[in-house]
Amino acid sequence: MGRIVLKDIRKTYGAVDVLKGIDLEVAEGELVVFVGPSGCGKSTLLRMIAGLDRPTTGTIEIDGVDVTARGAADRGLAMVFQSYALYPHMTVRANMAFGLQNTKMAKAEIDARIAEAARMLEIEPLLDRRPGQLSGGQRQRVAIGRAIVRRPTAFLLDEPLSNLDAELRVSMRAELSALHDRLGATMIHVTHDQVEAMTMADRIVVLRAGKVEQVDTPLGLYNRPANLFVAGFIGAPGMNLWAGRAGASGFTLDGGQVLPVAAQGATTLGLRPQHLRLDPAGPLVAQVTLVEALGAESVIHADLAGGQKLLAVLPGQPDLARGASVRFGFDPGHAHLFGADGLRAAA
Amino acid sequence: MAQVGAWVGAVITAPLRGFARLLDVPLRVWQRLAGQNGMAAFFLLPNMAIFGIFVLFPLGLNIAYSLTSGGALFLADRNFAGLGQYQRLLTCADYTNLLSCQEDQFWTALGNTALFVVVQVTALIVLATATALILNRELRARSFWRAVFFFPVLLSPVVVGLIWRWILDRNGVLNAGLVAVGLDPVNWLLDRNFAFAAAVGVTIWAHLGFFALILLAGLQAIPRDLYEAAEMDGTRPARVFWRITLPLLMPNMLVVIVLALIRAVQVFDEAFVLTGGGPGTATLFLTQYIYEVGFASLLKNPGLAAAASILMGGVLVVLTLLQLALGRRNERKAKLK
Ligand SMILES: Nc1ncnc2c1ncn2[C@@H]1O[C@H](COP(=O)(O)OP(=O)(O)OP(=O)(O)O)[C@@H](O)[C@H]1O
Ligand SMILES: [Mg+2]
Repeated sequence: MGRIVLKDIRKTYGAVDVLKGIDLEVAEGELVVFVGPSGCGKSTLLRMIAGLDRPTTGTIEIDGVDVTARGAADRGLAMVFQSYALYPHMTVRANMAFGLQNTKMAKAEIDARIAEAARMLEIEPLLDRRPGQLSGGQRQRVAIGRAIVRRPTAFLLDEPLSNLDAELRVSMRAELSALHDRLGATMIHVTHDQVEAMTMADRIVVLRAGKVEQVDTPLGLYNRPANLFVAGFIGAPGMNLWAGRAGASGFTLDGGQVLPVAAQGATTLGLRPQHLRLDPAGPLVAQVTLVEALGAESVIHADLAGGQKLLAVLPGQPDLARGASVRFGFDPGHAHLFGADGLRAAA
Repeated sequence: MAQVGAWVGAVITAPLRGFARLLDVPLRVWQRLAGQNGMAAFFLLPNMAIFGIFVLFPLGLNIAYSLTSGGALFLADRNFAGLGQYQRLLTCADYTNLLSCQEDQFWTALGNTALFVVVQVTALIVLATATALILNRELRARSFWRAVFFFPVLLSPVVVGLIWRWILDRNGVLNAGLVAVGLDPVNWLLDRNFAFAAAVGVTIWAHLGFFALILLAGLQAIPRDLYEAAEMDGTRPARVFWRITLPLLMPNMLVVIVLALIRAVQVFDEAFVLTGGGPGTATLFLTQYIYEVGFASLLKNPGLAAAASILMGGVLVVLTLLQLALGRRNERKAKLK
């Protein structure tokens, strides 16, 4: 239960194409994360799945049934909103019971479900409080609890962690993952935080401007980004992307430096900052402009000849002064090559 | 351009600044003498003086008048009557028959006003809520509709009364319309029930926009996600209204109810221009009674009018205190959130 299939979902608001044809299959029990820059259509897509909005064209299937025309209530899904959307005038208990009462469920059953969810989320002492008397993290749990008691076929979460402070976000992230494992239900989680996406997801859907850029496992995206956008978007700090051209002797950067990478047809070479290392014999010569020492590692900002920027993350605390000329080397196997169309070059 | 502006500004503020400097010295001296709280009292004085002259003093005068009798205008010429006027207002030979009351007109006006308050406030609240709910939807030309409903609020009450008299009069627009389609004209305002209904309807029309606006503001403060959460939960519209919209609208709703009650108790201008209290005494309300006894009738009795207005004032004070209490409660609740 909880297999969701989207076929060519499009959405236009007036003259604006917000979603431009989205095809996606979410497997039963999978935790899929939608990630992408602000305004790319993540929330819109989630709301289509939820039934709060109708696609302009395209179909949505849940467990093989076309639900495109069905209302939100008849899809068996539960949503956790970014703002939590708890009813402020009801106690936590009443908030959790509200949806169940709509289905005319017996009171004993409602109480049992609330008790179970409250135990799971450790919010038992809060049941008789109002949302206004809870902290952000507690509200978050209640919002999740309200979804859990409905035993939905899938959970839809729209940036549920974005209102929490950094520390709480990390712990809630882990809790949500644990909850997913425990419930075994399908979850679609929206975020624009790529670390959140990487740590939680079974698979990540990278969206940009209403289109799916790539769907893959977190490591799949990291290791084999399908295009320049994904390459730049996934991983922190972002991948170095250098323009140049491929030749017989390797990849020649616009600044003239020749890198020993076999690169037929490529116009951009990508290299993660973590894959660069100091190497007196290395092919990259750069002038250090800034050193950010973080203790365990250091982030080096540098300029290549020709003006392109280089970013390197080096272990420890290398002794580099601003303005110093430094040579970097790398393992050619770590290079990502992209063609003029922005797609990953076959190699 | 900006320089000219600055220059003009300087010219205007120069005398003000001079004036302020002039005041500075005596104010400092005064502050040293009076202390900080004394200064606060000093600055409040002008406002308190106005309040005293136009509110407190007349109130005291009114109480004094209510304890006197006779037709003389000046207090000094009037006879002290103790609580005689109140007694006259409230005495009935048989309380089951209001015609046996000494001031049966007062009781009629009281009864009419009570009925008016119940009917008008109930209908007004229901209609204002419905209007606000509709205006809160994504309508085409929403601003236009909001303006249409708010427009009567901007009219003077006398204008409102006149407009509707022109419509409902024997020779009015409505009858002209009826005649034009071949029906007999109806003497609307000479029918007791219709005249009362017209007073209710016209005052509702005149005030609806104001109350709808307050409720609309309350509705717009309810986050949309709550409705979406309710939609995900499969909540029927009626349940959404009773369990989500209405409770969250309650602070505004209570304010609206109390304000509407106060206004309804005070009903006068629109109704008076529309019906003049008639036919007979069908639309005679308390304020009109007070006005007629005090100023308009042949046997002017300012003492009686003053006593009646003190009684009515008592009711209004209770309602006002209620409103203030509600306001304070809402504030406290808002802080809790
Ligand atoms: N009702 C609407 N009418 C017109 N445009 C809309 C509407 N709703 C959303 N949009 C547009 O659709 C695009 C996608 O919006 P959406 O809320 O899905 O973005 P998002 O990816 O969730 O962004 P964020 O990370 O900021 O939440 C935006 O450009 C937005 O302006
Ligand atoms: Mg969003």
